[in-house]
Amino acid sequence: MQQISLKLKEEVMKGVARIPIVVDSLTPDKLFGKSESEIKAEKVWWGNRQENTGDLFEVGVDGEAGSASEVKIVLEGDLSRVKYIGAGMTAGEIEANGDVDMHCGAMMRGGKITVHGNADCWAGREMHGGELIIEGDAGANLCAMYRGEITGMTGGKVVVEGDAGECVGQYMAGGEILIKGNADILAGLNMKGGRITIEGNAVMPGADMTGGEIIVKGKVEDMMPSFRFVEVTTLDDGAQYRKYSGDLAMTEKRAKGVLYVKA
Amino acid sequence: MVEELLIRNGVVYDPINGVKGEKKDICIRDGKIVEEVKNPKVIDAEGRVVMPGGVDIHAHIAGGKVNSGRLFRPEDGRKGAEPKTKVCRVQSGYSVPNTFATGYRYARMGYTFVMEPAMPPLAARHTHEELIDIPILDNAALPLIDNNWMTMEYVKSGDIDLLAAYIAWMIKATKGYGVKIVNPGGTEAWAWAKNCDLNDAVPYFDVTPAEIVKSLAEANEKFEMPHSIHVHGNMLGHPGNYVVTMKTFDLVKGIRAYRDRPVLHGTHVQFHSYGGTRWGDFESQAKAIADYINSNEHVSIDIGSIILGDTTTMTADGPMEYSLYQITGRKWTNHDVELETGTGITPFLYSGKVSVHTIQWAIGQELALLIKDPWKVALTTDHPNAGPFIGYPILISMLMNKRRRDESAEEMHSAIFDRAELPSIDREYDFYEIAIITRAMAAKTLGLAEHGKGHLGVGADGDVAIYDITPEERDDAGKIQKAFLNAKYTIKGGEIVVKDGEVVAAPQGRTFFVTPECDEKLMDEMLTKLKDTFEHYYSVSFANYPVQDAYVPNPYEIRAPWRS
Amino acid sequence: MVQITDVVCPLCGCVCDDIVVEVEDNRVTKVRGACAVGKSKLMGHGRIKSPAIRENGALKDCSYDEAIKKAAEILAAARRPLLYGWSSTVCEAAKVGVELAEEIGAVIDNTASVCHGPSVLAIQDVGLPSCTLGEVKNRASLIIYWGSNPTSAHGNHMKRYSYISKGYFLPGGKKDRKLVVVDVRETKTAKMADKFLRVEPGKDYLVFSALRAILYGYEDVVPDEVGGVSKKDLLEVASMMKEVQFGIIFFGMGVTHSRGRHNNIVNAIQTTRAAHTHTKFNIMPMRGHYNVAGFNQVCTWETGFPFAVDLSLGYPWYNPGETSSTDLLIRRECDAALIIASDPGAHFPGESVKHLAKIPVIQIDPFPNPTTEFADVVIPTAISGIESEGSVYRMDNIPLRVRKLVDTEYMSDEEVMKRILEEVRAIKAKEGE
Repeated sequence: MQQISLKLKEEVMKGVARIPIVVDSLTPDKLFGKSESEIKAEKVWWGNRQENTGDLFEVGVDGEAGSASEVKIVLEGDLSRVKYIGAGMTAGEIEANGDVDMHCGAMMRGGKITVHGNADCWAGREMHGGELIIEGDAGANLCAMYRGEITGMTGGKVVVEGDAGECVGQYMAGGEILIKGNADILAGLNMKGGRITIEGNAVMPGADMTGGEIIVKGKVEDMMPSFRFVEVTTLDDGAQYRKYSGDLAMTEKRAKGVLYVKA
Repeated sequence: MVEELLIRNGVVYDPINGVKGEKKDICIRDGKIVEEVKNPKVIDAEGRVVMPGGVDIHAHIAGGKVNSGRLFRPEDGRKGAEPKTKVCRVQSGYSVPNTFATGYRYARMGYTFVMEPAMPPLAARHTHEELIDIPILDNAALPLIDNNWMTMEYVKSGDIDLLAAYIAWMIKATKGYGVKIVNPGGTEAWAWAKNCDLNDAVPYFDVTPAEIVKSLAEANEKFEMPHSIHVHGNMLGHPGNYVVTMKTFDLVKGIRAYRDRPVLHGTHVQFHSYGGTRWGDFESQAKAIADYINSNEHVSIDIGSIILGDTTTMTADGPMEYSLYQITGRKWTNHDVELETGTGITPFLYSGKVSVHTIQWAIGQELALLIKDPWKVALTTDHPNAGPFIGYPILISMLMNKRRRDESAEEMHSAIFDRAELPSIDREYDFYEIAIITRAMAAKTLGLAEHGKGHLGVGADGDVAIYDITPEERDDAGKIQKAFLNAKYTIKGGEIVVKDGEVVAAPQGRTFFVTPECDEKLMDEMLTKLKDTFEHYYSVSFANYPVQDAYVPNPYEIRAPWRS
Repeated sequence: MVQITDVVCPLCGCVCDDIVVEVEDNRVTKVRGACAVGKSKLMGHGRIKSPAIRENGALKDCSYDEAIKKAAEILAAARRPLLYGWSSTVCEAAKVGVELAEEIGAVIDNTASVCHGPSVLAIQDVGLPSCTLGEVKNRASLIIYWGSNPTSAHGNHMKRYSYISKGYFLPGGKKDRKLVVVDVRETKTAKMADKFLRVEPGKDYLVFSALRAILYGYEDVVPDEVGGVSKKDLLEVASMMKEVQFGIIFFGMGVTHSRGRHNNIVNAIQTTRAAHTHTKFNIMPMRGHYNVAGFNQVCTWETGFPFAVDLSLGYPWYNPGETSSTDLLIRRECDAALIIASDPGAHFPGESVKHLAKIPVIQIDPFPNPTTEFADVVIPTAISGIESEGSVYRMDNIPLRVRKLVDTEYMSDEEVMKRILEEVRAIKAKEGE
């Protein structure tokens, strides 16, 4: 097992402007097999200029890895302007100690990311697989699609311990999302597959859905006026739920989505 | 820019001058082909295939609907995103590339002229602003003049001379190149969510599409127009429409073109060669269309052949685009243009797993292979409707190589074996014929050959493509595809713009436009009616309508006198 | 005295082009045909007299050369520069802006970010069934203004293009048409309507979904009241929509900026599509500035994306919410900004203005405004459409050319941008040595 520690130097975020650093080149896949000095020489974008990783981060490498899946990267420091953590990764692990910026886990295919803090918008964007744990809150567009696309998340598992922003899982086609707190407006917008479970409250969930499943265990504010009540049913947790089919605003033929709201 | 250029040791294919793969020197001075040079920069083509710069007769590259296509597809934009370089601006897009990528990618394929085929006259300024921003390529645009209220009213009253005055004014006002016709009458009907077949009366205007086509062909031939009417016929995309296509072609059979060119150019005819009665029994009728073209001299076509994969459809055929959107449920943009035309745009995925798409894929190639005379055929994909222009090299390799076609058919839906002809066709194009359908035919049909395009005779523009392939390698389909995608050299107006597949210079191109010359009295009579139309029904004023000179900074004017 | 006809008004998205102007002693002295706001712009008002650079808190007059040089220095050195505004200048200037953004790796953005950006996002989701304004004039017998109050923001809109205009198929004008207004309060436009629906703030999204369900024939699932609107009223409006030959929805800030934002517009467009299964129905955003659409057009054909384009990584990256100006500034990402033909000082959220005031700001504008209060370099320019000509796009994306009516000593926006670009290139060339 190998652990690569990357600690953002304090001076990077000290200026009047807090300029983002893009770290999609710092994943277990891309760093596997690289020495400490090679990692320090890896280029990362800081605004419109490329810098050496070693100039922005304190780098430490501990142990050996036989493959990317044996690599664990631990990020520390003020990560609130560090974007694309774990983007596209297929194996290994990343731990972020702090709040992380946008696109954390975007397009990931495997491996595991744990954020000990909040994640900004577009965490898990277009995710295909792997695991993403956010211990704090998630910003808007969690696991959503990129603008214009009709497919977002297709696989993988995401857990948000806190609250989630608007449009959770927009255009979701597969995979699982669990929000332990509340979800802001339009969770499951345009959903066509997969499952979203919200243990807290939701506002206008399931709008324009054509497939997939949403389970709301808290309260629904502003239920969509275009859903059809089906029946009261019991789910795996033994509790009773009102089952709705929708969204008929997409026409009945396409309204194959299911919304469960705790009774 | 290098003043003198000499290309030696190239195997030259110059169909307009009858050069069929001869080892020949090409000399260029001051941007033009000349007999000989004294102190040139020398390019040794080393036995490679040399052709005139490509001439594309029909590709949607500039204007309102192209930009709407870009705007509403950021997911297409992010494909092909490239940073700027010393020579090139930023690039983006796959089926709807930005203007810079459009110029660079065409140049890399050895093309030097592209015709924007559908310019809504009210938005002509927009088309020209984009043409200015397309690097390298010379260009032109065809204004839409068939669903216009003025057109339909003159067709109804039978005033062909006044119709001619109107089309002259429109072509001048829009700095356009000729007469474009798209779903005549049908796009006006679409403003009421209706459509028209060839012999249906257009609501309120009470003329039929057939009458519109015939009248416009007559009006067009009142002038020494370089190009014939350019027609996207009614019922595009409908099973069984091959009958409408042939009827449309028949409409203008008796009309005499002013010169040795067809009276009607049928565009993206793949979409108009459909048999069957519905999607369930859909089949190719390319053979019927090819037979027609083989036995008639008054029509030319471009194929509009499918490239598998994702693309963006965009045409002035509003109702057709709506039907497409209803089939796929995908996003759909529509833009009806007052008193003139309309637009519909929707993404589309052509899949080799789907029977209908497979047959469509076969049809485009069947047309090229079953029409005996390549001088009647241009290679297009109706970019981006049947696919992006970047797919031309795939088509070239298919037309030149039966085995490649067969291998592809194996991977596609089996319907190709009983509802299409392609698997039974053995013919293979050679480089000479490819040169005809990718440059010579278009230059001739557009009337551009005598203005320097599409050939390498003395006096022609110094537009040359050197492809990284030798005639001996004509059976290597993979190499053909690669060679036609990234030219070894592309020379534009005597300047090397592409070397080893990379853009090394990006000079500005010129916009070609036609100035039809019309009797003043006729023009005045037409203008009285036109100004009244502006006053009451247009939302812009007459004075602000014509395209100002500022929008055509590099003009090339072709005069079209009235025929006596 | 010279009379100039067919003047194109450089104020709002209506881009009225039949204005008549009188010019005397190189000044516009009379304006006919424009609405009050357009007339005010054409008649002219107080402007910035000289380029200036801020020293010790106060603006000190300088030459164009000095101001341009200073601007170029600031931009060339910046790690996350923003080029913002563009909506009140011509396309020719915007093109130079894109070129400059490529050169320095900047984010380029226009006022759509705080205006109809949500409409663009919606179009990218579902497309836009629309038309030119002349189609509305000639054919639309049902006009719906939703979250839009044209009597105040687009003075000539109804007279030239919609409810009050006379068209080919509707020669009786108002008599041949019906007007429906949907808004959170009874506006002046609402008072003219045949039917007014008062919707609860933030509930438009629900009302659209309900209308769609009704238009598709599922009225049985719709509750008796949705978002403050009765089911009876919804059924009535749905009937009106189904029965006409041509209907149009015009929408404005009421829906783009209330809860749901761009998704409200998606839903409005979906409602239009549902209506289209019955009859011809179109929808159009009421664009604010006279060339906000023009910038979006130029930016799209040149970069592939309409606004909020981040070129810092070299290739264009588009992601509103991340690359839009207000977000960049609220998150304090930018270290320099060029503000042209716009007024973020007045229109941006307080948090973003706070940050803007802390970083070097270059302002290019004919007129002083709240942004001038904290700009570090101020470069006054000619007023496009009065002192310089250029290309603009109306709210329905029809391109027009604004005219030059009077002479001026001021440099145009395009000229200033070109000079800045030149200087930036010179600086970078020197750095390269």
